[in-house]
Amino acid sequence: MDDYQTCPKCKTTKYRNPAMVLMVNACGHALCESCVELLFAKGSGACPECKCPLRRNNFRVQLFEDPAVDKEVDIRKRILKEFNKRQEDFPSLREYNDYLEEVETIIFNLVYDIDPTNTNKMIDNYKKENKDITQKNRNRQSQEEMELEVLLEAEKAQQSEKANLYVNAELEEKKQKHKAREKLIDELMFSDADAKSIVASHVQATAALAKEQPKAAAQLSSGVVKSSKFSSGVQIGLRGQHTNSFLPIPKQEDLPLYRYTAPVFDYDGPPPPPIEKLGKLNYFANIRAANITERAGGYTEAMSCCRALQEALGGLFYSPQLTHKAAVLATNASTPDTDDMETT
Amino acid sequence: MKLNVDGLLVYFPYDYIYPEQFSYMLELKRVLDAKGHCLLEMPSGTGKTTTLLSLIVAYMKAHPLDLTKLVYCSRTVPELEKVMEELRKLMNYYEKEMGMEQNILGLALSSRKNLCIHPSVSKEREGKVVDGRCYSLTASFVRARHAADDAVPICEFYEGFDAHGKEFPLPPGVYNLDDLKEYGQTKRWCPYFLARHTITHANIVVYSYHYLLDPKIAEVVSKEISKSSVVVFDEAHNIDNVCIDSMSVKITKRLLDKCSNSITILETTISNMKENDSKRLEKEYKRLVEGLRDATIARETDMALVNPVLPSEILEEAVPGTIRTAEHFVAFLKRVVEYIKTRLRVQHVVQESPAGFLRDIHTKVCIDRKPLRFTAERLASLIRTLEISDLTDFSPLVTVSHFATLVSTYTKGFTIIIEPFEDRAPTVSNPILYFSCLDSSIAIKPVFNRFQTVVITSGTLSPLDMYPKILDFHPVIMTSFTMTLARQCILPMIVSKGNDQVAMSSRYETREDTAVIRNYGNLLVEIAAAVPDGIVCFFTSYLYLETIVSSWYDQGIIDQLQRHKLLFIETQDAAETSLALINYIKACDNGRGAVLLSVARGKVSEGIDFDHHLGRAVLMFGIPYVYTQSRILRARLEYLRDQFQIRENDFLTFDAMRHAAQCLGRCMRGKTDYGIMVLADKRFSRADKRSKLPKWIQEHLKDTNCNLSTEECVQICKRWLRQMAQPFSREDQLGISLLTLEQLQSEEMQKKIQQRAQGV
Repeated sequence: MDDYQTCPKCKTTKYRNPAMVLMVNACGHALCESCVELLFAKGSGACPECKCPLRRNNFRVQLFEDPAVDKEVDIRKRILKEFNKRQEDFPSLREYNDYLEEVETIIFNLVYDIDPTNTNKMIDNYKKENKDITQKNRNRQSQEEMELEVLLEAEKAQQSEKANLYVNAELEEKKQKHKAREKLIDELMFSDADAKSIVASHVQATAALAKEQPKAAAQLSSGVVKSSKFSSGVQIGLRGQHTNSFLPIPKQEDLPLYRYTAPVFDYDGPPPPPIEKLGKLNYFANIRAANITERAGGYTEAMSCCRALQEALGGLFYSPQLTHKAAVLATNASTPDTDDMETT
Repeated sequence: MKLNVDGLLVYFPYDYIYPEQFSYMLELKRVLDAKGHCLLEMPSGTGKTTTLLSLIVAYMKAHPLDLTKLVYCSRTVPELEKVMEELRKLMNYYEKEMGMEQNILGLALSSRKNLCIHPSVSKEREGKVVDGRCYSLTASFVRARHAADDAVPICEFYEGFDAHGKEFPLPPGVYNLDDLKEYGQTKRWCPYFLARHTITHANIVVYSYHYLLDPKIAEVVSKEISKSSVVVFDEAHNIDNVCIDSMSVKITKRLLDKCSNSITILETTISNMKENDSKRLEKEYKRLVEGLRDATIARETDMALVNPVLPSEILEEAVPGTIRTAEHFVAFLKRVVEYIKTRLRVQHVVQESPAGFLRDIHTKVCIDRKPLRFTAERLASLIRTLEISDLTDFSPLVTVSHFATLVSTYTKGFTIIIEPFEDRAPTVSNPILYFSCLDSSIAIKPVFNRFQTVVITSGTLSPLDMYPKILDFHPVIMTSFTMTLARQCILPMIVSKGNDQVAMSSRYETREDTAVIRNYGNLLVEIAAAVPDGIVCFFTSYLYLETIVSSWYDQGIIDQLQRHKLLFIETQDAAETSLALINYIKACDNGRGAVLLSVARGKVSEGIDFDHHLGRAVLMFGIPYVYTQSRILRARLEYLRDQFQIRENDFLTFDAMRHAAQCLGRCMRGKTDYGIMVLADKRFSRADKRSKLPKWIQEHLKDTNCNLSTEECVQICKRWLRQMAQPFSREDQLGISLLTLEQLQSEEMQKKIQQRAQGV
């Protein structure tokens, strides 16, 4: 279709030059890109068809087949920025429709250059009168329109998610079937039981599986959100989304009660004397006793002594050749008093 | 004979009745009592139509207040005629038994093309042209012009009908299309408008699906049918596709170019009219300001441009101001068309939801949803006002306006797919926009809501539970009836391997395998040698048929085949196919025997019966799955999965099996008939495929016949054909599959019937 596009100035067609791009400016007359470069080398000039002054940087790629439509859409966008009253701003539908028609007439006049002075006057008047409403509506309009669309987009995203779910479920099911069949074949091959009974039990198992599947499907389907709006786009219920977002309280699962078990240390060496016996064994003679301030903080000399002993004895039996298990066995076997036991 | 069906006196126009017909009546009576919808499957050739008609007519006579009208929908004109014949037989029987004229009026309605008697218009061949020319002769403004100036041509038949026909209703009786035409000729009345006018007070109306399901036509034709009617959809196994087609729109590049032309015509006409006769435009404008309702109240002949359904609350509203005046509307149309043109300029496939489309059209060309919704109405009104009498040129624009209205009305259940080229020719740019309906329940919902009873019936509706799901309704009764037979006169077999033990399958992977193709060929040759008269073969697609036939040529199978029988092939060309069919029938009639190679889902597979010697065997080569790569199908499958929890595979298998069943059913058209049904694909023997065959075929498909090789199959065929060749008389059937009144009333038979009529 694009083959028939022709630049009115240099008569190049899309067929002869596939790289040709037509551009339009405010007047709605098309020119090809190279003609634009040539004619508007200075940055501004007159349209070769209607002689109206144009700027080069206002040229843009022609979107529609008919350049007049491009022009109209441009004007429309400009006008609608100002004329953005909405049905709520009018007391009745009739008046709103009259307003819409007025807007349409203004655009029509601008596009076809009918009565430009009056039209421009009308626009200016309107601008003055409705400044605040226009300003207000600029934000509001987009909001409502977008809300509808965003909702639909969200629905779409949900759908794709669901699709994945179904595909996975199907795959899972297939796998299970396959497994069941393999199992049956294996059993028939290796088991000594009667073949008939094996087949019968297999049939039962598959039937049970088949029964479960509808349940799974139902679960999946319960996740399907019923349509939240009428075909006309009006929502069902009060802002459907908020009522739906009611999260159930997470159910606590029944876990077994906690039970304390003492930690087991493995020293890899002869067990150090327990902390209560340190005094009796006269270990404190060699260290500084704790002073009053330290005692107030809960410190006793037994603590540091015990720790020093543990560090000194721990890992004495460690040998890279012995596995960990063997080492543990060794420590268990050794009595606490045989400090001089040697390890190889 | 006179029957007592659950307390209702039914006149049945034959001396004998099949037991399943009686059970069918019982179920139907229950549905009518319950005023709900139902789904009934009964094998072809067991007299569904007569059964339906005789029971419903009897019910109408017994309860004239509860049930006022029967609307019988069928697919093709020959089928309509068949129904009318049965109805005529029934009414004659009533007259004979009761000895007086019956006060029942039944008529068939078809398009203008089939009913027109205007000397020159009726010569036209294309339906659209006939419609357009009829409109140009009968539109109200043309007639007004004629009143002022005699040179303006009008249709004398319509004038005659308009002057007198409305006061004199059609006398009671049964009118098929020819009767209507004849009546029109004698009275000089237009039969088409006479029939349309008569629909409102006729007792029995027989017409095509589209008059009810297509919202564009239903609004015009079937608007005034009361709630207390029963609607029957016969041969309804494809009803979901009909529903979808009626709501879908396809827009091509060429169509859009034509639209641009019609828009320029509109522009010039408007500017002309503004200069000469601006009053008319003003009048229209004022009417539109008041509201659309008044605008739609137009004369019946002006309804040539019909509109898609709009929710009635919208119809109450006035046309939005943006498209109220004619020029603005034309500029609006131009923008819509240009916008769609830009959308068609794509390099890769685009799929979009209606919402996305609406947003895009808003940002690109500043068109809101509301005026878009009114496009179709507004265009119809404009064309009326402009007094454009040649409508055929405007049909592209009308299509686009329908699209605009539909896309802005329905946000759910539709999708827009834009394909830059066809899958088969990716180098040729041929952009098409499909606006495709995914939900078959949208089109049929108004029918279910409006009428007290809707009966969906066919020879092949299995699996029954799929239809309520995809059409989204709750049937009161779903039943599948089997055929009671005095002898086993159908022989379904599943052939899964050739003589060389290579599995036969039309799976994509093995399609090109020469061993598979050769095995298919050998199967056909051996069956052709064993089976007398006609054999019909069905392939999964035209493409597959062609590749197989060409390699059969190379392998010499065609030569072997022609030693036994003549060979005919169905092609995509309708004329060629009908020629092949005529010669096939000739070859079967004179005893030479013939093989017809055709395609499932093609013309032959639906609606053409191969009874008795025309089809002694049907071979189904492969499972007729749809082309699964089609984007429209993909979108529909996705929708079905999300909305109705129908899995892709389930639907595809369902669809394939119902077409397979349709093909198999071609050879059995009655109880004296007999036929072999060969399903040549390994996959048919799987439980999920087998269980989806109709009950009356499944019943005869024994486990021993499920995994045969070619040789075994031929052996079984030979033995079975020898049995079938034994003389078979009515006495053999009597008491088993054919009952007299006494036999029917015997206690034993009643018990049997009660047992049989268990729902599914």
